[in-house]
Amino acid sequence: MSAANLAPITATDSLSQALKANIIPNQEYLLQGSVLDSAVEVLLHRLRGLCDNVDAGTETFDDQEVCFSLRDPNQQAAPLMLRVRKALDARDMPFQLRYIGQPDLGDKSRPTVVRSSLDIACSGMLIEFLNELGCRIEFEYSVKGYMFRKGRMKITVSKVFKISQSSMSPEPISQSYLVELSVLAPQGQDAIGEDMRAFADQLRPLVQLDKIDYKRLGHMS
Amino acid sequence: MQREEKQLEATLHAILNRVNDLKTAIQALISKLENEYETINWPTFLDNYAILSGHLTGLSKILQSEVAPSLRSVVVLPLQLGCERDEALARLTEGRVPACTHDLVPDLLRTKPEPQAEQRLQQFNHKASTLSHDTAQKQVAQFTKVISHVWEIISKGREDWEGESMRSAGMQPTHSIADTHALVTAVGTGKGLRPGMPSMGPSGVGAPGLGPSRGPAPQLGPAAAAMPKAPSAIKTNIKAANQIHPYQR
Amino acid sequence: MKRGKATIICEVKNGSYSQYPVPENKTGTYVIELLTKRILALGASQQGQFLVDCESYLSHPQMGTTKTVHILHNSEQPASVFSILESGTKNIHVIADGLFDLLMMKLSQHYTSKKQTKIESKGPRFELGDFCVKLGSVTMNQNFKGILVEVEYRPCVMANAVWGLLREFLQGLLGPTVPVQPTQHLMSRMNEIYTPIDTIYQYLEHFSAYRKVTGMRNN
Repeated sequence: MSAANLAPITATDSLSQALKANIIPNQEYLLQGSVLDSAVEVLLHRLRGLCDNVDAGTETFDDQEVCFSLRDPNQQAAPLMLRVRKALDARDMPFQLRYIGQPDLGDKSRPTVVRSSLDIACSGMLIEFLNELGCRIEFEYSVKGYMFRKGRMKITVSKVFKISQSSMSPEPISQSYLVELSVLAPQGQDAIGEDMRAFADQLRPLVQLDKIDYKRLGHMS
Repeated sequence: MQREEKQLEATLHAILNRVNDLKTAIQALISKLENEYETINWPTFLDNYAILSGHLTGLSKILQSEVAPSLRSVVVLPLQLGCERDEALARLTEGRVPACTHDLVPDLLRTKPEPQAEQRLQQFNHKASTLSHDTAQKQVAQFTKVISHVWEIISKGREDWEGESMRSAGMQPTHSIADTHALVTAVGTGKGLRPGMPSMGPSGVGAPGLGPSRGPAPQLGPAAAAMPKAPSAIKTNIKAANQIHPYQR
Repeated sequence: MKRGKATIICEVKNGSYSQYPVPENKTGTYVIELLTKRILALGASQQGQFLVDCESYLSHPQMGTTKTVHILHNSEQPASVFSILESGTKNIHVIADGLFDLLMMKLSQHYTSKKQTKIESKGPRFELGDFCVKLGSVTMNQNFKGILVEVEYRPCVMANAVWGLLREFLQGLLGPTVPVQPTQHLMSRMNEIYTPIDTIYQYLEHFSAYRKVTGMRNN
């Protein structure tokens, strides 16, 4: 029997192989900040100068994100959060289903937030699937802005909007753009954090990208 | 007398150390040039020269200092010159000088510059001394002008580079910490995005009457739409839901 | 929407051949070899192997009505994970990339795998002109359960248009008395454009039937 006729290995096996080889990008390194509406043009200009994907003009996106929670049946752990993103400007693209774990800020020496993350492209009836799975919609928003790439780094500059019930134009939740710098990488590639810090420094003082613990912020206010 | 001898010995020792340092530095430089010339990082290579010049300065300091006056009164007298190989000398010099020949001695014992170099130095001195004061002044002024022009260009460039930072330091800010926090918590926990609810509220979304801006029910619109053979009444609902909800294909 | 090709999956039951009766004590390997010989005699060539597997997860009792998530993989679409959620009478499917399997691990508190019902169909894959035929032996938990034959007619994207042809082909291969029935799912989709998930639904229906009959046909 030729090699082509060998039995295909099961998906479970190939997945555990990939896990063992540590090639699955399941960690997100993240820095966040914001820029005032008045200064966003300057920031975009600077990003156009620094980033890779600018030859064919600036890449834009217009997404809607719904955040679901799935409560732990034993009531022991915090609810599991799942996010679904859908491109409003490219409707035939698949949904993006995201699992995001607890952010780990580490100590001062760690340059970025690290959190486990699974980014899954999905098609089909995802929203209904999640509803039936036992997930509940927690909140949703739309997010519109610009996406830049620099090597493995992704930089988004985006405006976050409340979803409005009527056909009125959506209401932005702040007078600033959210700026996020992130990299998805397999576990243990912490060196990328330094690269991100270096890149973030190039955007100073226009934007201050930092490790932000939204959990603590949420409790404070 | 004994004190002087001791002093001389200490001085010689210090000089020897310096010379050895210098020698190892030069060796490192040469081996780098010979072995790593393909991968060499030239800016760091230049640092080697800084090390060399450091050692040279140290050496000349010792020679100039008052500790070493007696050295000036010491004479080196070559007793024997010859073309035959002197093993002891070769060993002392690590094989560099196999014999004390006529060829080498003038270089090794030289206390003045080479005649050629001396001649050129004299030429320059002569040229400088014949130059009229006015011409010299003119040339200096011209040079200063060029330098200051370059300086101006550089500092203007720097100002442009740092302009934004200076402006932001002195003038309006380009970002606000409060906005950052608001945006990050909104995206992270939904704060401000859930109508009329505290963050992480347990069951509010499905409850009716909450949230004047939008009811939660239409989110489930696609659920109805996904059933393959839905009655027509539902289909009209879908259309309505479709306009506000983008998750329907 | 990605288009597939009309496919029919037919179960081969032992002893259902009138012309080539398979003795009751013969193994699945015997039937596969027999069918392989027949299809090679028709002029088909073997093009590798195939594998379809299914693992099912049950919701935690605390979560209310029991729901089942079936996770299926098909070697024809090696980068995809097919997930079908069975909730009451409704089936909802999602087609995702390979990381969906990792998500199921994250959901292990909520949905637990019924390992002993892990089931797969695997075997040789043949091409014969416009037809693609897969002879799968079904094993659950390492126990042989039966044989599923999948026939795909590649130029056609609508089951209704090619149903008669597929049935004729299958009966030619398996014997004229073999009943060839579309699964419930295919029945409802006869006039729709066929996509890979339709194949998955057919397999799931057959797999579920095998799971219900346990311990019977252990040879």
